Amino acid sequence: MTTPFLQIRNIRKAYGDVTAVNDVTLDIAQGEFMTFLGPSGSGKSTTLYILAGLQNPTSGDILLDGRTLLDTPPHKRNIGMVFQRYTLFPHLSVGENIAFPLRVRRKPKAEVDAAVRRALKLVRLEGFEDRMPAKMSGGQQQRVALARALAYDPPVLLMDEPLSALDKKLREEIQYEIRRIHQETGVTILYVTHDQEEALRLSDRIAVFSKGVIDQVGTGTELYANPATRFVAEFIGDSDFLKGRIEATDGKSADIRIGEHLILPAVSVHGSARPGNEAAVMLRPERLTLSSTPVSTAGSLAATVKDVTFLGNNTHVLTETATQEVLSVRLPFGHEAAGSLRPGQPVWVSWDSSSAHAFCT
Amino acid sequence: MSAVTETTAAGNSERARGTSGWAYALPALLLLLIFFVVPVVGLLLRSVLEPEPGLGNYATLFGSSTYLRIFLNTFMVSAVVTALSVVIGFPVAWMLAIMPSRWASVVFAILLLSMWTNLLARTYAWMVLLQRTGVINKTLMNLGLIDQPLALVNNLVGVTIGMTYIMLPFVILPLRGVIKAIDPAILQAASLCGATRWQCLTRVLIPLALPGVAAGALMVFVMSLGYFVTPALLGGTANMMLAEMIAQFVQSLVNWGMGGAAAFVLLVVTLCIYGIQLRLFGAGRLGQGA
Repeated sequence: MTTPFLQIRNIRKAYGDVTAVNDVTLDIAQGEFMTFLGPSGSGKSTTLYILAGLQNPTSGDILLDGRTLLDTPPHKRNIGMVFQRYTLFPHLSVGENIAFPLRVRRKPKAEVDAAVRRALKLVRLEGFEDRMPAKMSGGQQQRVALARALAYDPPVLLMDEPLSALDKKLREEIQYEIRRIHQETGVTILYVTHDQEEALRLSDRIAVFSKGVIDQVGTGTELYANPATRFVAEFIGDSDFLKGRIEATDGKSADIRIGEHLILPAVSVHGSARPGNEAAVMLRPERLTLSSTPVSTAGSLAATVKDVTFLGNNTHVLTETATQEVLSVRLPFGHEAAGSLRPGQPVWVSWDSSSAHAFCT
Repeated sequence: MSAVTETTAAGNSERARGTSGWAYALPALLLLLIFFVVPVVGLLLRSVLEPEPGLGNYATLFGSSTYLRIFLNTFMVSAVVTALSVVIGFPVAWMLAIMPSRWASVVFAILLLSMWTNLLARTYAWMVLLQRTGVINKTLMNLGLIDQPLALVNNLVGVTIGMTYIMLPFVILPLRGVIKAIDPAILQAASLCGATRWQCLTRVLIPLALPGVAAGALMVFVMSLGYFVTPALLGGTANMMLAEMIAQFVQSLVNWGMGGAAAFVLLVVTLCIYGIQLRLFGAGRLGQGA
């Protein structure tokens, strides 16, 4: 097997008693768009800062092309980075900002000028060379920052929530730009965000961080269809949870009892599954349907409609089961039940058991 | 401490608000007129009227090599004091800006205590330290670095040392504010762009701190030009400075005409320097936002 392009090996970072990153290991392929997704304080930014060399890990190693990066200071790592805050040099014009990494490398003037022109073209800001950063919008500043980070053709580009200060519309516009630039340049990108939609839109693969560890790595589809932990299930997409108890299990799937009467057969199970253990059964709201009679081929629960909200392409129905558990259901536009639902109405909530996942603690 | 930047900022916002608030400024303007403008005009008038009308006092001032030498001394010492204050003050201000706040407040307290200590007491303390049998000369001799005590007092060396010490806080305090306002992420970005520590300092930190350097340096230079106590005590009779000369004109020679002329030249020079500084660094020329 060939050596992976970028390897994060058992990285740990502790501040006194607090462990920010705990034994993170990850391989990243050349040209891959890898996103670190997680809430604040989950260790995703710390991992990125360790890659940049702005922080040192307590233990572990980072290898680029098989060679360790840890003994290389940040200015010699030849890594590009775009920060969350605006970090353009305020005393330099846009052109001088982009030229900065090449000038400190003492490149000849012709080469610097050509690189600046190329970088500005890449981020579609031709003609902005002489503009001062303070005279630009936040979105433009981050595009210049991106141009500056790419001007010296770094093999790896790090991005630490670069769009979090921008409004939603502008954010989507620049996400599209980042995707295009990734395709045009083929640079390997490591992108940190807490926004699952952003992660799904941009990434080849997503590493979901929680409490200093990576819960799961995979494509967006994999994470959504087969979440490895309850945290991943909750963080990516909407989810419903039902309390249950394991009746029988072979370790991979289990029969799970919900309430008095219902047993869900062969639900794929994660965590320490042993008969008698409690399990949380995860269902996706758009995989649930409503009907007036139980559906025999799948799991079904009796419930009462609490609230109905029409949202255009789908209708959001809040239901409560007999055991006071809330299930939210998303019915596509045109679903036969959607029009006639009223709060207080008894219904049967049904699902295909292959879409259920159980998590044991 | 950054009186210079504050006045320019106030001036700008005043202009932005238009002229409707003029009446409210009247008491302050009156105060300035009575206690500042009138005396200065009076001094100017005396310089051209006493002992007889004409520019005779100015001719004497610029015509005599003794007086020109005093002007030269004053500018030289002020320039050296300013340069030394910036060179010593910059690292201290930087350190104050980035060190943990608990330690920074200790250093801050030391700075302020020294500023609050009586000026005469501090200047006499330097006299004791710098004299031929003072601690500094003794230490250097005991270490075998020198054979003869150095002449550190009663000359311009002593004046420079004493004044640099007194002026340092006036550089450190405004500079600390400016450096503290620089986002550390900008320096991290510079480092990742490939800049060495030295390049981060010379290409990013110093250019961004330049308005603070200019404000502090201007204040020190202007204060140094008219400084009296330290040059009078630590300087020798042979190398007089401008303020001493004015004092002598007025006190010993009771020559208000010459004293006024010298004071007026000092004022004009000061205003010119302030004007140049405004031109170069005023009104947020660097576009750093606020």
